[in-house]
Amino acid sequence: MKVSFPYMGTTVIYKKLFELLDHEVIEPPVPSQRTIDLGVKNSPEFACYPLKVILGSYIEAIELGATTLITSGGHGPCRAGFYGETHYRILKSLGYDIELIVFDAYKRDITGTIKNVRKILNGKSLGYLWKTLKIVYLMAKSMDKIEKKIQKLRAYETYKGSCNRAWEEIQKIYDSVKSIEDIVNAELQSKAILDNIKVIEVSESERIKIGIVGEIYVVMEKSINLKIEEILGAMGAEVERSQYISEWIDYNLLPRWVSKPYELEILKKGEKFIKEIIGGHAKQTVGHIVDYAERRFDGVVHLMPFACLPELVSQSIIPAITKEYNIPVITLPIDEQTGLANVQTRIEAFLDLIKNKKRIRIA
Amino acid sequence: MKIGIPKALLYYYYYPLWKVLFEELGFEVVTTKNTTKELVDKGIKVSVSDICVPIKIFNGHVLELLEQSVDYIFVPRMMNIRKGEFFCPKFMGLPDMVRYCIPDIKKKLLAPNISSVSDDISDAKNYLPMCDILGVSSYKMRSALKKGKVAWEKYRRLSIKGYTAKEVLDSMESGNNIKGDYKGGFMNIGLMSYVYNLYDEFISMGMVDRLRERNISIQTFEMFNENVLDSQLRSMRKILFWTFSNKLLAVGYKFLKDSRIDGIIHITAFGCGPDSLIGKVMELESIDYGKPFMTIRVDEHTGENHLQTRVEAFIDMIYRKKVMLKGEANIV
Repeated sequence: MKVSFPYMGTTVIYKKLFELLDHEVIEPPVPSQRTIDLGVKNSPEFACYPLKVILGSYIEAIELGATTLITSGGHGPCRAGFYGETHYRILKSLGYDIELIVFDAYKRDITGTIKNVRKILNGKSLGYLWKTLKIVYLMAKSMDKIEKKIQKLRAYETYKGSCNRAWEEIQKIYDSVKSIEDIVNAELQSKAILDNIKVIEVSESERIKIGIVGEIYVVMEKSINLKIEEILGAMGAEVERSQYISEWIDYNLLPRWVSKPYELEILKKGEKFIKEIIGGHAKQTVGHIVDYAERRFDGVVHLMPFACLPELVSQSIIPAITKEYNIPVITLPIDEQTGLANVQTRIEAFLDLIKNKKRIRIA
Repeated sequence: MKIGIPKALLYYYYYPLWKVLFEELGFEVVTTKNTTKELVDKGIKVSVSDICVPIKIFNGHVLELLEQSVDYIFVPRMMNIRKGEFFCPKFMGLPDMVRYCIPDIKKKLLAPNISSVSDDISDAKNYLPMCDILGVSSYKMRSALKKGKVAWEKYRRLSIKGYTAKEVLDSMESGNNIKGDYKGGFMNIGLMSYVYNLYDEFISMGMVDRLRERNISIQTFEMFNENVLDSQLRSMRKILFWTFSNKLLAVGYKFLKDSRIDGIIHITAFGCGPDSLIGKVMELESIDYGKPFMTIRVDEHTGENHLQTRVEAFIDMIYRKKVMLKGEANIV
């Protein structure tokens, strides 16, 4: 079974999971213009952007020889929950005969989950799977910790690009992890690498902190969001995302008695503006904006795929939050038509406004 | 006291229930007129630019009601009408959007959470939270809901007989007998469209009348019993999360299998998320079934002529196919 998966964020983690289960892993290529073109060509015109890019990713993985695609499902009510079915039908109509394993929320579909687990278990025992999951989870946690450091460091690097190079190197280190001890070592090595990056000293009062919120795929996948973190970093802003893979696991996969994820706090903060969970990450988006405002961030970048159902609701409400909490928010809808220069200009103007505001406040 | 119900979105499915409910409680029910270009323009001004037309139109109707100085505006939060299914996120966040997009509406908003296990949403638990705001007793609410339910069931019965929502609502409003239905046209077209797209003259541009003028009979999803529709989807690996989209897809499958239906027209609004997926599924399935299928996508800029030309071409194509199959060359 040659397995592959959608490309999102730090793919080393998913790769590790299937490798430890002794599958042959076909790593999908980093989404490129070709990926996007392939996806757009074969998707419904008005489908959301992640559906198109993931379809492109699947096709490229299949071209490389993947026979099984593994993905997470959704519990609705946003369109992401129906990706699996749509992708399967489109791939079939294109003549690709593959198996698509969709892990729906296990609380919703227990028998389906058990069946799927059996499929990927590859003859291994449940105990082994448990051990593997633990390694992968700890690895995700550890990598997210390092990534958060890099997102801060990037704003102050002396030599442009040194953080990106360090991150590449760190991902390679984590790629060779086999046990929990390895993770501890990898983290130590990574920290050493980060300590070697030369930085410019900037006083606390002059630092700019920007939060990135929005739909999970465009927030996490940098090849799709035009490397927004790097754009912000290059302009001297520290960045924090609303989504990290380990936090996603905390909230979606672990039972509540194991972990009490921060996302519950966030949801409480969003309650005032969106009463119910309406799908996707709309409620989290407004909650995170409130959270960033309370933590005295300087601004928020709101990313969403064009015509994303839940994010349109949060976009409608953002002006009210901006007013109440006095925090600047810029919304960037992203799709295949989005141009780099446009985003760069808008972000630059946004940061200029923030810097001016800060200067006035300090003076 | 006046209660306003915007003539948009689920007005076209639940109005009889809500109207009787509020009238029985002793309030005056005010609704808006048909959608016009001016009303849409008003709605656009307060809406996010990328959102779908029905929501923009809804906002327009709410503004219209505000101008008529009603005391309350009824914007229910539609959560689910099936177990494990939901409404489109925009319906679920509708009161939140209205509250923060339209100025000066906060105190006038009546937004109960509606959730139910079937299309019948007259369960008292949904409406009891409104008792305090409206100052009515829960007993009165319950008995008003019972009467509302009767009215809504009558409405559904007439729909299932084959009358369009517009015909039924008009006759209920005026108290006149319903006009005869249009069965037995020379061609049958299945219309896949949400009620708020099809019966809003601005969005569908009078599609129903346009087709009937040419002696074509139509069928839509609300002309079928919910059990009939549910049974269509049993073979699917995973059904959608949105009840009304499921209904649309189910009726699509029904049209595909029904040999009496000659063609299917899918009318959708620009930016409709669920429809973008259903459309693709139907596009693929209609090839397998060999049935003509066309999508018409409408937004606030769509011109009428384009629609007319496309519908005519579609009808002509089906007509020729029919003639060729029958071998009745003399008709041409």
